[in-house]
Amino acid sequence: MIRFCLNGQWVEESDIDPNWTILRYLRTNKRQLAAKEGCAGGDCGACSILVGDLNPEGQFEYQAINGCIALLGSLHGKYVVTVEGLKEAEQLHPVQQAMVDKHGSQCGFCTPGIVSALTALHFNRSQQSATKVSDHDIHVALSGNLCRCTGYRSIMDAAHAMFEYPAPSEHAVINQASVVQFDPAAMKQGVQPSLESQGRHLYVPQSESELQELLASYPDAKIWAGGTDLGLEITQQFKQFDRIISLHQIASLKVVTQSQKEIRLGAMVTYSESEAVLAKSFPSFVQLIERIGSRQIRNLGTLGGNVANGSPIGDTPPVFFALNAKLVLASKQGEREIAIQDFYHGYKQTDLKSGEYLKAIVLPKLTPEQSLYIYKISKRKDDDISAVLMACVIEHNGKTITAARVACGGMAATPCHAVKTEQALMGKPFALSSFEKASDCIAQDFSPIKDVRATKEYRLTVAKNLVIKTGLECLGGQ
Amino acid sequence: MSFMSSKLDAYEVRRKRPAKGKIGKDQKHESADKHVTGEAVYIDDMPELSGTLHMAVGQSSEAHAEILSMDLSAVKAAPGVIDVIVYDDVPGEKDIGPVFKGDPIFATGKVEYIGQPLFAVAATSFEEAKRAVLLAKVEYKTLPAVLEIEDALKQEFFVHPPHTQSKGDYAAAIKNAPNQLSGEIYVKGQEHFYLESQASYVVPTEDKGMKVYTSSQHPSEVQKLVSEVLDLPINYVQVEVRRMGGGFGGKETQAAPWACMAAVLANRLRQPVKVRLARQDDMVMTGKRHDFLNRYTVGFDNQGKLHGSDIMVAGKCGYSPDLSNSIVDRAMFHSDNAYNLQDARVVGNRCKTHTVSNTAFRGFGGPQGTMVAELIMDDVARFVGKDPLDVRKINLYQDGDITHYGQPIEHYHMAELIEQLENESEYRKRREAITIFNQSNAYTKRGLALTPVKFGISFTAQHLNQAGALVHIYTDGSIHVNHGGTEMGQGLFTKVAQIVANEFDVDLDMVQVSSTNTEKVPNTSPTAASSGTDLNGKAAQNACMTIKQRLVEFACEKFSVNSGAVTFENNHVLIQTDKGVEEFGFGPFVEMAYMNRVSLSSTGYYKTPKIYYDHANATGRPFFYFALGAACSEVEIDTLTGEYQVLRTDIIHDVGQSINPAIDIGQIEGGFIQGMGWLTTEELNWDESGHLISNGPANYKIPTSSDMPPIFNVRLFDRANDEHTIYNSKAVGEPPLMLGMSVWLALRDAAASVADYKVAPPLDTPATPERVLNAVMFAQQHKAGAV
Repeated sequence: MIRFCLNGQWVEESDIDPNWTILRYLRTNKRQLAAKEGCAGGDCGACSILVGDLNPEGQFEYQAINGCIALLGSLHGKYVVTVEGLKEAEQLHPVQQAMVDKHGSQCGFCTPGIVSALTALHFNRSQQSATKVSDHDIHVALSGNLCRCTGYRSIMDAAHAMFEYPAPSEHAVINQASVVQFDPAAMKQGVQPSLESQGRHLYVPQSESELQELLASYPDAKIWAGGTDLGLEITQQFKQFDRIISLHQIASLKVVTQSQKEIRLGAMVTYSESEAVLAKSFPSFVQLIERIGSRQIRNLGTLGGNVANGSPIGDTPPVFFALNAKLVLASKQGEREIAIQDFYHGYKQTDLKSGEYLKAIVLPKLTPEQSLYIYKISKRKDDDISAVLMACVIEHNGKTITAARVACGGMAATPCHAVKTEQALMGKPFALSSFEKASDCIAQDFSPIKDVRATKEYRLTVAKNLVIKTGLECLGGQ
Repeated sequence: MSFMSSKLDAYEVRRKRPAKGKIGKDQKHESADKHVTGEAVYIDDMPELSGTLHMAVGQSSEAHAEILSMDLSAVKAAPGVIDVIVYDDVPGEKDIGPVFKGDPIFATGKVEYIGQPLFAVAATSFEEAKRAVLLAKVEYKTLPAVLEIEDALKQEFFVHPPHTQSKGDYAAAIKNAPNQLSGEIYVKGQEHFYLESQASYVVPTEDKGMKVYTSSQHPSEVQKLVSEVLDLPINYVQVEVRRMGGGFGGKETQAAPWACMAAVLANRLRQPVKVRLARQDDMVMTGKRHDFLNRYTVGFDNQGKLHGSDIMVAGKCGYSPDLSNSIVDRAMFHSDNAYNLQDARVVGNRCKTHTVSNTAFRGFGGPQGTMVAELIMDDVARFVGKDPLDVRKINLYQDGDITHYGQPIEHYHMAELIEQLENESEYRKRREAITIFNQSNAYTKRGLALTPVKFGISFTAQHLNQAGALVHIYTDGSIHVNHGGTEMGQGLFTKVAQIVANEFDVDLDMVQVSSTNTEKVPNTSPTAASSGTDLNGKAAQNACMTIKQRLVEFACEKFSVNSGAVTFENNHVLIQTDKGVEEFGFGPFVEMAYMNRVSLSSTGYYKTPKIYYDHANATGRPFFYFALGAACSEVEIDTLTGEYQVLRTDIIHDVGQSINPAIDIGQIEGGFIQGMGWLTTEELNWDESGHLISNGPANYKIPTSSDMPPIFNVRLFDRANDEHTIYNSKAVGEPPLMLGMSVWLALRDAAASVADYKVAPPLDTPATPERVLNAVMFAQQHKAGAV
């Protein structure tokens, strides 16, 4: 059985196909129809719903997520608000009223999703009494919401205006969680969270030891982190998994620790959560993270998932390569540490053994001589998959390049180093000409393919130019 | 408390204030509150009747092949499957081509594109239906496939014969001009990406008929095709459309096949069948905007003024005619955009390819034709070394000019509109600033472009320019209006309600517009060609006028006055009698009329005057009038990566006298962004075997909010339509899409700056970062003397 709160009502479910997404459940079993299926892939945001929980600082907040790819089982212990829950009697929520007044809807199909995304921004900012939002804040909040009709200006206006309306009362469903009802600890007691239907199972282990036991018993079970890629196998390819283990409630996998020398990130830290953690040490990495997927995807997707999934087009692995990150892998047999360079064996092939899972990622902090440069090349700025991603750590003493680590995604079957380019930079004068010369080595390092995102020639040219761009940025602009 | 007393002000209040929601006022979309609460019902949100089944469609995996065998036994045996149908199971007409034949409901014998329907499955759930279709075993004998326009042109492989329009001796004019130039551009198509994919819900009725709820811009066509496949008279089929989650032309003909298949299943099983296409299926199986390959040769003087033009446009029609004949025609009609081509020939080719049959998409070929005119202006400007805006201005049509298809140019306020935009956007000042910026930045370049749009309004198929409406007034004075147009977000229902309210001068909330329904208004035209308000608004007005006339006649008789004494004002009817003014609330007056046996219901009808086109002689007046507009965009590009951003866009657009400025501005902004997306980030890609590989939003990128220009000024050009359209407004659906061309040309301008504007670098569309980088490298090589 799993338990969650839906628009103020606690719900218990047990006999539901573990492969069901939240959207499927809401629309079929609850006839809650505001959230729509636009793409079933987490790309359009029409399915956005609000999931409330305590954030790492212990404050209650709502996150908009894609209900179309998130599993129902991942709601265990959460406080869910859909657009149906926003109106108080006949009174529209401020976001809804602003959308009406600013003409923010045309066909209306994307609108409930947009209302959800903006309501998360409205609620969380209101909690912090930060009721002024910038265009950038709104773009980030809406990065996962496609509207094909309006051209967005009216929606932007609504977002700017939403704080001008009277806030929902304390009795509003959206305020109930933080004020009255939300007590996840009490709620969890005595519940062995799982779903089971027609021989298919979903487990929500509460600890790593439970996880290790489950993996030992069911080595073929699908490990579900954020599910932002894996979910598509269900919603696009219509696969049905027999056993799914959702990691979202294992607190030890969300732990972040920092020392002088390194940051250790639990594998289940989401992209969104990592933004604050990494802001101080790796500002350029945070800029990249803001361009990974959308806000909704970053609220679901995890750093560990991005690494362990093994895709050649994941955006964080090249950064981890450049940073010389280490991975902590764990199983019932114990833990081991491995350099990320040794983790990938081929397309979607990793070093994870049966029964093993990714526990944490360890990032060495940069020394004062080192800088991290990251470039993501895609057709669209927000919520796009990279044609090429390049991450470079350049170390210099003002005269000489003393170390260079250049790693790319999208250039080969796995993320990897540009070895010859790195060698060409090492020990060379700290000058643009060194970068220009080294950039010629990209063609020796990689033999990329043509696909839907770019031609082979563009990948090579742009990767070469990005080496020069790194040099320009490193040397302080033009 | 009654509705009237709780929702509406008392008549005393309504007498004093003007009626609410009149024309010319910003008025919220009639469904705005339902949109934001999620209460607006789309097809997939409708309550399902018991026994409802879900449909999925088996698809061809070959672009061109003979079907050797099709084994569906595993499909039939799959869990949840109730029925499977193929070509021979269709009881009536098996070709569902909307205008011309050529679209078999299911492939038989051979397939002609990847994704072509082979069979349909009805199952107890959507997922079961989807899983079942994957189990089909089909053997093919592969045939050579034509996948590119170039190949079709070489082989003269067409869905219709070419069409030519000409004016004067173009060849001599080009030859005798001081300068000649030729050029070419490949303009890729566009996926509609309406947020609601194709959907229909088909329910059998007791008399062997069908009730079809569908997300379609053309309910009458769905009705006709469903009746044909079931071998029924049209009056056995009823089609209803409340709203679409976006259409953009993609639901003009493309909604019908799925409704037809579902109707065949529903007919066999006598059970309701629902179909909604999964996004990937929708993208693979339904037509898109046509790719076009455009070529030109022009002659011009040293100022850049054209002397003669020879233009070829070739549309990638896909495997069947669909609407391609009219679409390529419209590309031809718009290959002049705002400019006098002078003596000219325009040839339009309708290329057949073994790809999905391309279809209507906002602009209907017009945008692709317009691209060649703008390409010419840009290329000529670089050739003569002038600012492209100056070359555009000297080539603008003047009143009295004749287009290459014989339509006289009238009421052409383009020069004034451009001048206004040039001033408001500070074009010249910014041009100077950009030149300085570009000289002082090695790796970042800015570009600027100001481009006009002239778009012909009317269906080029003359018979479609008609519409019907139905207006009822009930005894409390509340009004119901129904018309043949469909609501896809464009605000048509809101505007028509405003028109009806305006005719009686009552509050807008007295008027209710209901679902488009073939039982209420028959034989409707598609809601397309930007014509929704022009046609249906006029038809609704016509119905109102009929009723109004009856009410006036009634008042004249009852109060012994002549018709000039009766006025409708502020929710009231005023009658000037000898004794003074008799004043009635609209509701009480209507009730009195009812008690005196006055008919309070009327149909209305409208047909567009003046228009015709003689296809044999390629001449006529296909358009009632032209909608005008212009946009000025500034961009910044990165010459190392080709990445770019739009910094600012200014738009002035001509909607005549606006019925609802908020809705019109919404159309302009949305159209601009959609046009910008088409020409920048939205890239359709097929692999060598004809598979669409940009088959979902993960790899087909429509604009997001952050792609919107951070400075985005949109203004209406304040001038009533000189033609007698509804309240002298102008159509607004399609024309603004072409404003997006300013972004494409600004990108090209930025790339040209690399070679000091001495060359017009090739920039096919969409201008992805990759193509922009290629344009930059072309300019770099040109500067280095290599090309």
